[in-house]
Order: sequence, then C-alpha cells, then structure tokens
Amino acid sequence: MAKKIGSEALGRFYKEGSKVRTRREWRGVKDTAYDFSRWLVIMGTLGKFIIKPRNMKAMLRYRWMANYLAVPMMVDRHTQGLRGEYLRMCHAEQDLIIDDVAKLLDKLFKGDRRIGNDEEFSKKVVLVDENEMTAVMMGFPMLETLSRETPSTYVPVLLNQHSMEYYMDIAEEFGLAPDVCPMPEAEAGVSINDDAPVLGACAIQCNTTCDGSLLGNGVISKRLELEDGIPVFQLAAPLRHREDDVQEYAAQEIRNAIAFIEKHTGAKWDWDAYFECAKRVNLATRCRQEWLDMNKTDYPQVFGSNLALYTETNYMAICGRVPAFAKVDRKLTKLAEKAYKKKKMMAKEYRHRAIIWGVQSHYYFDFLLWLLNCWGIVPLTDMLSMVSTKEIAEVDTPENREQAYYDMAWLTENMIMRNRTHGGYKVLLDELWDFVEEFNADMVILWEHMSCKALDGMHGMFEDRAREKGINLVWVEHDLFDPRIISRQGVRDQINNYMRTVMREEPIDPSLEVLPDDQSW
Amino acid sequence: MKDLKHLLYFENLLLEANNELVAQAKKDNKVCVAFTCESVPEPLLNLEGTFSVRLRAPRTGSMEMSTYYMTSFLCEYTRALLERALEGGFNFADCVISPDGCSMMNRCVENMELLKTMNKDKDKFFYEFMEIPMKCDENGLNLYILQCRNHILKPLSETFGIDTSEKALRKAVEEHNRICELIRAIGDFRKEENPRITGYEFHILTLATYVAPHYLLIDKLEETLEELKTREPDAVNPYRVRVVLTGSEIDDMDYVKLVESCGAYVCADRFCLGSLPGRVPIELNDDDDILTQVCRHYITHSQCPRYMNMPKMTGRRDYINELAKEYNADGIIYEQVKFCDPWAYEKMVGGRVLEDDYNYPVLTVDRPYSIDSGAGQMRTRVQAFVESIEIKKLQRGGING
Repeated sequence: MAKKIGSEALGRFYKEGSKVRTRREWRGVKDTAYDFSRWLVIMGTLGKFIIKPRNMKAMLRYRWMANYLAVPMMVDRHTQGLRGEYLRMCHAEQDLIIDDVAKLLDKLFKGDRRIGNDEEFSKKVVLVDENEMTAVMMGFPMLETLSRETPSTYVPVLLNQHSMEYYMDIAEEFGLAPDVCPMPEAEAGVSINDDAPVLGACAIQCNTTCDGSLLGNGVISKRLELEDGIPVFQLAAPLRHREDDVQEYAAQEIRNAIAFIEKHTGAKWDWDAYFECAKRVNLATRCRQEWLDMNKTDYPQVFGSNLALYTETNYMAICGRVPAFAKVDRKLTKLAEKAYKKKKMMAKEYRHRAIIWGVQSHYYFDFLLWLLNCWGIVPLTDMLSMVSTKEIAEVDTPENREQAYYDMAWLTENMIMRNRTHGGYKVLLDELWDFVEEFNADMVILWEHMSCKALDGMHGMFEDRAREKGINLVWVEHDLFDPRIISRQGVRDQINNYMRTVMREEPIDPSLEVLPDDQSW
Repeated sequence: MKDLKHLLYFENLLLEANNELVAQAKKDNKVCVAFTCESVPEPLLNLEGTFSVRLRAPRTGSMEMSTYYMTSFLCEYTRALLERALEGGFNFADCVISPDGCSMMNRCVENMELLKTMNKDKDKFFYEFMEIPMKCDENGLNLYILQCRNHILKPLSETFGIDTSEKALRKAVEEHNRICELIRAIGDFRKEENPRITGYEFHILTLATYVAPHYLLIDKLEETLEELKTREPDAVNPYRVRVVLTGSEIDDMDYVKLVESCGAYVCADRFCLGSLPGRVPIELNDDDDILTQVCRHYITHSQCPRYMNMPKMTGRRDYINELAKEYNADGIIYEQVKFCDPWAYEKMVGGRVLEDDYNYPVLTVDRPYSIDSGAGQMRTRVQAFVESIEIKKLQRGGING
C-alpha cells in the first residue's frame, strides 16, 4: 500500500523534542530498497571522510563540523513522500552534492594551518565566497577552488536549523546591528570567532547578493589579509547588470581577477580548460531550460527542492568545473523525460501552480516539498532557479577568448539571487509576472526574508501588481538563518492560514499541517 | 556667544525641502536636479541653468505609506523620502539622479518612479540610475566617467539643453569649490581650543549648501565667515569633551544639537551631508578633462563603506584617526541610521579598530532618522560616553587617556 504516492501520513514521523524522525518512510519494496541503498552510500561517504585523522581533528576543532552528523536526516527531509523517478532525481543530485562537500571539507582541512597544514597544497588554493559565481576559476584546473563559507555557514543551516545561532550571536556581541541579513552576519561571526580554516595562496571576494554580503566580506578580508597574510582581491560586479554601459567594467574586473590569481599562485590561465567548462555550463543551462519548459506544462518534473538546491550548487559553486555534475544533468533530464512521457506526478494531487519568489528560508529548505505534500501547491520554479539562460562561447577562437571575459562577467553578475536582488525593479518585479504567465501559475508565494532590503523595498509594488493581475499572493515571512525569529511552524502557519481562510481549502495530508519540529535537525 | 546673524535664516531654509531659495531658483527658470547620495558628483548637477537639491525630509512624522511600500525593515531615511515624495513634497524637482549605491536608496527611488510621485504633468521629467564603482582604481574611474556622462550630462543636455561643455564644467567646479572653501574656512574655527562656532551651527551652514542653490547662498556664507573672524567665544568653554561624529547620513538638524547638549563638542563631521570630505575642494589641473578630474576626486575622497577594496577599507579608519588628531578630538561617535546595512558593518569594524588599534574611546549607536523619536535614549548614551571620557582623562591625566 505504501508504494502509492501519498499513502503515508508524513507528519507522523515527527516527535516532539526529537532531532530525528521516528522511523524511515516505507515506500514499497523497490523504492525502499533503493532509498536504503542510497542511505548506505551516504553513510559510506561520511565514513570515508571521518576515518582520516585530520578530519577527526577538524571535527573537534570547528564547532560547525558537528552539524555534519545530520547529513542523512537532511536527505530524508528532501525525499519525503517521493517515489520512482522523483526519488532517484533527489538522490542523484543530493548524493553528488554530499560527495562534493565532503571533498571540499577534506581539502580545506588538508591545507588548513591548524589541521593538515600541507603548505604545498595550500599554495594551490584560491579561496572564494560561498555565494560567488566561480566562473573566474574555469581556466585554472591546476588550482583548487575552495570556499570556506560553504561548509562552515551555508551547508550547516541546511543540516541543522539552529546551527548558525551561535555565530550570529557572536557577531552581535561584537557590535553588529542585529537587523542585518543573518547570512553574512553568520559568516562574519565565524570569522570573528576565528572558526574558519586558514589556508590558500589568495582569495577572491565578490559583492554578491546584497549590501550585507558586500560589507560582511570586509570583516572576513580584514582577518584574511591583515591577520592571516592571505591577499584578497575584491571582484566588483556591477549592480545594474542588465545595462550595456557596465559590461566593459565587469569584463575588466574579470581580467584583473585572473591577473591577481596568476600573480599569487604562479599558475597560468588555461583556455582549453576554460572552454571545456564553458561546454558544461551550456549543457547545464540547456538541461535546466528543458526542466523549466516541462514545468510550464501540466506535468512538471524537476521542481521544488530538486530544482532549487541543485541549481544553487551546480550553477554557481560548480560552474562547469566538475564533470560529474554534467553526468547528473543528463541523468536528471533522462529521468524527467521518462516521467513526463508517462505523465507522472510527484504528489497524489496538484491543486495550485505556484511561482516561489524571493529569498527562501535556509533553515526550512524542504518547505517546497511540504507545500506539495500538505496542500498540493506545486512549486513550479523559484526565484533562485531563474538564472541566466544565455549560452556562453564554447569554441576556442581568438574572438571567443575576448568574448569569454564578458561571458565570465555576465555569469558573475548573474549569480544566484543577485541577478534578481540587483539590477533594478525590472528583474525582480516585472519579470515575476512574466513568469507567472509563462508557467500558467495561479499563485505566487513570496518569501519575505525580513532582513533582505532589496526584496522588502518592493513589498508594496508586489502587492499592487498581484491585485491588478488577480493572482493569489501569499507572503511568507522568515529570517533566513534564524528560526528563533520565525520558526518552521511559524512559516507553515502563514500558508495554513491563507489556505484555510482565503482559499477555504482542507490539506491533502492534514498530518503535515502542524509539525513538532522546533528541535528537529 | 552672540548669535550668528544669519543662523535663523539658514535654520529656516532647512525646515522645508522646498525652501525659499529653491523657489527663487525655480523662478529664475533653473532646472532642479534632485539627488539622493554623495556618490553623484554635485558640480555636474550645478551647471549653467541647473541647480541641485539633495533630497531630505525635514520634520518627518508618520511614514505609513512608505512603510506599506517598503516595509518597516528599510532605513527610515529612505522611507521618509518616499513618504515625502508621495505627499508631493518634492514636486519642485525636474529630474532625479540616483546611484545604485545602497539597495534601500535604490528601492526608494524606484518606488518614486513606479508610483509616479514627481513626474505627473511633467513631460521632461526623468529618473536616472547610475552604477557607482566599488573600488578606487582605474577601472572604477573609467566606469564612473562613463556613468556620469551617460546618466547626468547626456540627459541634462538632451532633455533640458544644458551646456555640458568643458568650459561649463570648469565653471561649475570653480563655483562648487568656492562653496567648499567657505565651508572649510568656517569649519577650521572648530580646531580652536575654545571654538567660536558650535558644531550645531556649522552643521546648519553645511547642510544648507546641500539643499539650496549655491549661487544664492554664497553672499550669506561669506558674510558669516567675516562675522566669525571677530566673534568672541564664551569665556568658559561649555563643552566637556571633543568628538568626531562619523557614520551614515545626518540631515536632522537636532542630532548634533543633542550631542552637544550632552557636553560633547562635535569638532569634526565625517558623515554623509557633512563637510568631511563632502566639502573638500576639487583640485583642477590643465592636463585632464574636467569630468575625469571630478570623478577622480569623488572616487578618491569618498568615505562611503560601499567601497570594498582593502586600501579604501583601512583608509576609512585612518581618515578618522587623522581627523581626530587634526581637530584634537577626545573620542569618536559612530552612528548609523537604523537598518542601514553598510554602516552597520562599518560601525562595528571601524569602532573596534579605532578603539583597539588607535586607542580612542568610541561610542557606537544606531539612531532613528529623526532624533525626536529617540532623544532620551540617545542623550543617555552620549552623556555616559562623555562621562567615561572624563573619567579616563582624570585617571590618565591627559587628552586621549
């Protein structure tokens, strides 16, 4: 019976005060066996990682490392209710992301002055921001592109909702106003607490998504450059990225960044490697476009966290540099096409077609799946997945080498979130309603990340436009990294209230309406 | 001290955005160019036939409409501006030029545009948004020049027929410099041990130069400078300590007054809408074109925390140290308008650096746009700071501890 989609009341797996769920989901023999085999693979990845003494040392040195115990639970959250192709899609991408993060951690600790202290390795490392497009590293295959913020700040919140509270408090105790965005705040807190690995020949920072992110970099670079002696290049990507008269500036920033890396690492830019990466970037773009096209039909296939989490990783952090992701791009497309042909659905009932806009809650990333399972709201796409659809030059010619600087600049300007939070109201406000039409959506769920000034600054205009167009607009407030401000249930309640009072509907799975997951990973 | 002859006049100018000098300039058929941020080079807005007004919203009360449009999480300065625009308080403007400086200011002006707040029945009205460099280098300078050309000079020339020739720009810079020289000369009196001008009076004079047409102000500023040359300070200095006031924009007339009422003399004003570095004259040479020189001046002198490269970051703190020495300050007050992200970070780091590395007593505070709504708390903070500096002086027997 549990083989059927929606046959289990998913809310029953949660227990008050518990970090983990009461039991694994029964999905029928085939899917349960598959899911369990993938669980074993994940445990194997974690085992291989922790067996190294230096990684164990790092586990004891860095407070945020403890969160990685929750990796299997994170995958379980994102596979709730999934069967068949959707379950396989989720595992294909999540297992790869886990493997990629494990390798990242392993390399960080290898070069970390406090842990592995491999100086030769460290000389090959270029540090990058967590929210930074890594396009500028596409021609440096001989170097290691490592982000410290990804494993210390970004991933832990996906694993454990409470993981960054400590670091945010550190930053505030140090004097930071508590109304800034919790993401750069937490990153600054890690740096203030001297809780990030120290390694690298140099670092590239970028003014990524917002003023907070830009200024938070200042805190980190102060420690990196002035205390740890690691030179930092600030890559300034234009804010009004759709304007023609900023593109030359952006391209020159890329040239300067490459020159900086060459100077501090001794490495030489490799055009062959660059164009190989460019091909993979284009493949990812084509695949994503195909998934989005499917999502415009009655049978969307790659959506929800399957789309959001993977796009964030693949588009921005990977940016064509890791061949394994191209393989998964193809695999996901194949699975999606297969399910599409059979007119399969991810949940037993689709009631509403929604565009998810704004900056999603990081401590509740599986909310998109909850929307589907609880209320039958299909999250067709989300703001962070609506990134560049432009294919870049991928053939090595003299003209394309010059074009490549503009392409890298374009990608950097259009990194996730930033391509909407910067660039004027057209990319944030106007294009939302174009997508609503394209995707034939009847609902917009608008994340209101309280500290995101770029989004909050358009609040009234979103309301006005939704009213004009007769679209159901549901605001969902949250504080990105801090569930103490608005809990997961607080997030859910905003939807529950809207669905019951405005839409006058009953949930598809009532057990999910209220969940005792305040303490849950 | 005897009151300055024109102080009341200047104070009255600051009570309304649409003050009597703005009205007079409009009568003179001049085009009013409204702007919102120090990153827009002022001399380029004050050409023959134009005058600039830095937007502010004096006597702000309720901000309900702008809070609906931008939520209560955006800084009150931007909300106050939008509210005033919605009320029609900026209808005197003929165009708005705004940089994409901070997200909040950008959204504020975008809302003004979307809600058609100022352009009703004005065929020629335009909004221009500029990309401002975030680093002080050649690439940034080239961008700045291009942006000023495309988003200031070109639209002014094409829309209103304004002369933007080299000669016109040089004249505008010279007039701008005249204002700067006057303000700096007046400000230099603050270096005196028993100063003959209060920080409040100086703030009023400086503020007026941002919000009123320059050509109508010069006479009274010159007269004030002359008056100050012979002005006698009080026999006993009423202030207990001297502070550098630094941080985000201050256009509230009462803020400096409140700080000084607590016994802290504001000897240097390093904030947006202050004189340091906003009223540093632009040195011109005959080698480069004027636009390049103006842009180079702004990119070099700007102390805005959105400049993200390391020399600029460390330079901001060095600059405050230099000011503190030059103006003989006992302490530093870092302030930020509540919800201002750039200054939230700069205040934290700068405050720590000035305290730990330069050994200054530092007070860091956030404040509402209009100090009326938080005067009691602010007074307590500043009073305690003044006392702490005094105690340190007593304990260590000298200035700066």
